[in-house]
Amino acid sequence: MGRLAGHGAVLVMLAFGVYSLTTLDFSWSDVATSVRQAAKVFTLMDPVSLPPPGDLAYLIGLTLGIVVLGTLVAALISIPVAYVSAENTTPAGWLRVVGRAIGVVTRAVPDVVLALAFSLTFALGSSLPGILAIGIHSIGMISKLFADAVEQIDRGPQLALRAAGGSRAQEFWSAVFPQVLPSWIATVLHRFDINLRGSAILGYAGVGGLGYAMKVAFADFPQGYGRGLGIAAVIFVLCVVLEIVSSTIRRNLLGIDAVGNSLGRRIVRTATGNRPARRRPSGGAPAGGVEAALRRPWTRSRVRDLSWTGAAVVVVVASYWLADVDFSQVTWQYVLPTVQSFWPPNLGSHTLGDFLQALLVTVEVAFGAAVLSLVLSVVVGSLAARNVAPNGAVRGVFRTILVIFRGVPELVLAIFLIMITGLGDQAGVVALAFGGVGLLGKLVADSFEELPPGPERALTAAGATRGQRFLAATWPRGVPSLIGNSLYLVDTNIRAATVLGIVGGSGIGFYLTNASTVLTLHGQVTTLVIMVVLTVLAVEGIAAWLRRVFR
Amino acid sequence: MTAPVVSVSGVTKEFGTTRALHEVDLRVEQGEVVVLLGRSGSGKSTLLRHLDGLERPSAGAVEVLGEDLAALRPAALRALRGRVGMIFQRFELVGSLTVVENVLTGALARLRGPRLGLWSYPRSLKLAALTHLERVGLLDKTYQRADQLSGGEQQRVAIARALMQDPRILLADEPVASLDPESSDQVMRLIREIAADDGLTVVCSLHQVDLALDWGDRIVGLRRGAVVLDTTTDGLNRAQVMEIYGRVAASTAELMAIETELGDVVAGTTVRDGQT
Repeated sequence: MGRLAGHGAVLVMLAFGVYSLTTLDFSWSDVATSVRQAAKVFTLMDPVSLPPPGDLAYLIGLTLGIVVLGTLVAALISIPVAYVSAENTTPAGWLRVVGRAIGVVTRAVPDVVLALAFSLTFALGSSLPGILAIGIHSIGMISKLFADAVEQIDRGPQLALRAAGGSRAQEFWSAVFPQVLPSWIATVLHRFDINLRGSAILGYAGVGGLGYAMKVAFADFPQGYGRGLGIAAVIFVLCVVLEIVSSTIRRNLLGIDAVGNSLGRRIVRTATGNRPARRRPSGGAPAGGVEAALRRPWTRSRVRDLSWTGAAVVVVVASYWLADVDFSQVTWQYVLPTVQSFWPPNLGSHTLGDFLQALLVTVEVAFGAAVLSLVLSVVVGSLAARNVAPNGAVRGVFRTILVIFRGVPELVLAIFLIMITGLGDQAGVVALAFGGVGLLGKLVADSFEELPPGPERALTAAGATRGQRFLAATWPRGVPSLIGNSLYLVDTNIRAATVLGIVGGSGIGFYLTNASTVLTLHGQVTTLVIMVVLTVLAVEGIAAWLRRVFR
Repeated sequence: MTAPVVSVSGVTKEFGTTRALHEVDLRVEQGEVVVLLGRSGSGKSTLLRHLDGLERPSAGAVEVLGEDLAALRPAALRALRGRVGMIFQRFELVGSLTVVENVLTGALARLRGPRLGLWSYPRSLKLAALTHLERVGLLDKTYQRADQLSGGEQQRVAIARALMQDPRILLADEPVASLDPESSDQVMRLIREIAADDGLTVVCSLHQVDLALDWGDRIVGLRRGAVVLDTTTDGLNRAQVMEIYGRVAASTAELMAIETELGDVVAGTTVRDGQT
C-alpha cells in the first residue's frame, strides 16, 4: 500500500517535471533559438579580454578580502551558536532549539537578499554589505557542521575535566575545542570555497569585486560581453586555484585527505598521487631536569603550527585591508530599522496568489531542470559506472564528462546568466539542468557501482546480454537511491532557482529583488523566504518518506 | 577515630527501570587503599562516579571530605571535585594536545576562566606540571602529542593530571583494564607509591581478583549493585574471595559465570591453593 502510494508520488512528480517544461514553453527549438542568439552575441561582442593587471589585482583582492572576512565573521558567530546547539555542550534544552533555529533561518535567507537589504545601511560601494551577507548566510552551514563535530567528539576528556572540577567554559576550551579544531578549520575552508563561488552572484547585488565588474561588463550589450567572459574566466580560475590551496592546507595541516570530486580536489589528489596524508611524530626530549624542560624545543611541528597561525593572521589582516573596510560608511541610524523592517511578514500590495504564482514558476524551473538532469544523468551516469559501462574506456570518457560538468558551473552559469537576463526561464532551466547532470550523474554512477555484484554475475552465468543484465539486475536495485538523489537535486534546485530568479528577474526571485531593495517592503522578503523554506522542507519531507517506502 | 574521608550511606541509584546500586554503605578512612571488585555491570563505576558528584543518588547520601555532596552549590561542588583526582580506564586525555597541556588541565579547578594553550598558564603551574611529569617518569615526553604515547604512558600522564589537582582522594576506574600486564604493574605500583608518599586515600575499581589482592588494603565486592564482601586483604587468598562470592551467588551457573569473569588464571589458583 505504502509502496503503491510511493510509486504514485514518483509518477506525479515526473509528470509535474514534464508539465513544467511545457508550461515554461520549453522546447528544443527554443533551446536552439537561444543558442543561435548566444552565437550572435558572441560574434558582436569585443574579443574576450581581461581588465588591466592593476585593476585585475585590485578586483581579485577585493573579492578575496570580502569572502575571507565574511567567512571569518560567520565562523566566529558560529562558535557560540554551535556551543548551545550541540547536545553535549548546551547549557539548556531550549537553547539548543534556539541555536538550531538560528542555523535554519540564516541558511534559508539567500546571501543576495541580505546584501540587497543591507545596501541601505551602507554607503554605495562599501564592502560591508557583502561581508555581512556572507557572514550571516554562512552561519547556517558552519554552525550546523560545527555542532555536528562537537557531538561527534570523544566525550571522555570532557568528563575527565568535569571530574577534576572544571567549569563548563573550561571543559569546552580545554577538552572540546582542541578535539574539534581540525574539523572546524576544514569546515571553514570548505565554506570559503562555496562563498568564493557565490561571490559572482553577489556582484549582481552590487557587492564590489569581480562579480560586480562582470555585471557591469555584461550590462554593456553586446560589446562588453567579451570583457564579461574574461572576468568569468578569472573567477573560474580563482575558484579552482583556491580550492587547490584549501585542499592542500587541509591535507598538510590537518591530515585530512582531499575528498570530494570538484576539479580542484581532483587535481590535488592527482598531484599527490593519492598517498594518504602522513603525520610526522612531534615533540622532543628536553634534557636536564624540570627547569630546562620549561623551554619548549623548536620542533618541526611547533614551527609549522606557528607558521600556519602566523599565515592565517596575515591573511585576515590583509583581507581587512584589501576589502577596504570603513566603518564610517555605516549609517548607524539605519541599522536598527533595517533589522526591524523584516518583521512582521506581509504581502504589501500583492496578493498571496501573486506570490504563490511566482513560487510555482520557481518550483517549475527546479522540477523541469531536475527532469532534464535525470534523463541525461541516467544515460551518462550509467555509462560512467564500472558495472554497466561496456569497457574501461567508455567509463573513463563518461566520468570525465561528469567532472567537466561539475568543474565548470561558474563559467557555464555566467554564460547562461547572459541568456537568463535576456531570455527568461528557459535559460534558467538549462543552467540548472547542466549543473544538475554533474551532481546527479555522479551520484547515479556511484550508487550503481556500490551495488553488490551477485545478481549481475548470476545473470551473466545464465547467458544474459549486457542490456538484459542492466534492466533486470542493475536498474531495479539502483532506483531507490536514484529517487532519493533526484529529490535532493530538486531541493538544491529550488534554492538555486530562487537565486537565479533574483539575477534573471523571474519567479519568486523577481519579488525578492523588488522587496529587498526598499526598506518598507522588507516584510515581503520575510514572507517570500518563509514560502521558499516551507517548499524546501516539503520536498525534504517527501524525500524522507520515499526513502522509508522504498528501503 | 577521625571522620571518614568517604561516607556512603544507603545509596540506591536507578537509571530508568535498571537499578545500578542498591542500598550501598561504604566508609573509607584517611590513607586507605580500597579496591572495588566486581564484574562489569556490578555497579563499581557508578559508585565511583557518585564519589565525585558526577552522579546523584536516587536515595541515600554521599559525604566526601566531610561535605554532603547533595547540599553543595555548583561552585562548591567544582571546588570539591578539584580535591578528588580521578583516572579512567581509557585515560581520557585530549590526544591532539601535548602531554604537558593535558597535565595542566588538572589545575583548572583552581583557576578562573577557560585556558587554551601553554602560554595561558602561569609559570608556577607549568613548573608544577613538569615536576609531576618527572615523578611519573615522563619528563622526556613533555611536549609530545598525548596520542603518540603508549597506553601505559598515557595512563601515567593521566595520573600526573590528577596529581596536578593536589588531591586528597584518588579515584581510579579500572585503571589497568586496557593495559598489558607489564604496564598494569607499573601503573598500579605508581598509584600505591603516590598513595603512600602523599598520604592519599585511594578507591580503585578492578575486576581481577589477583590484582585486587596484590594492590589493595581492603576489598569491597559488588554484585548487582549491592556490597557482598568487605574485608581487608591480610591473609586473604583467591579461593576465599571466590568462596564468599559463591555463597551469595544464586546458582551454580551464576557462580561459574563469576569464575569465568574473575578467574583469569584458574589453573594457577589451584596450584597455589594446594600449597597453602
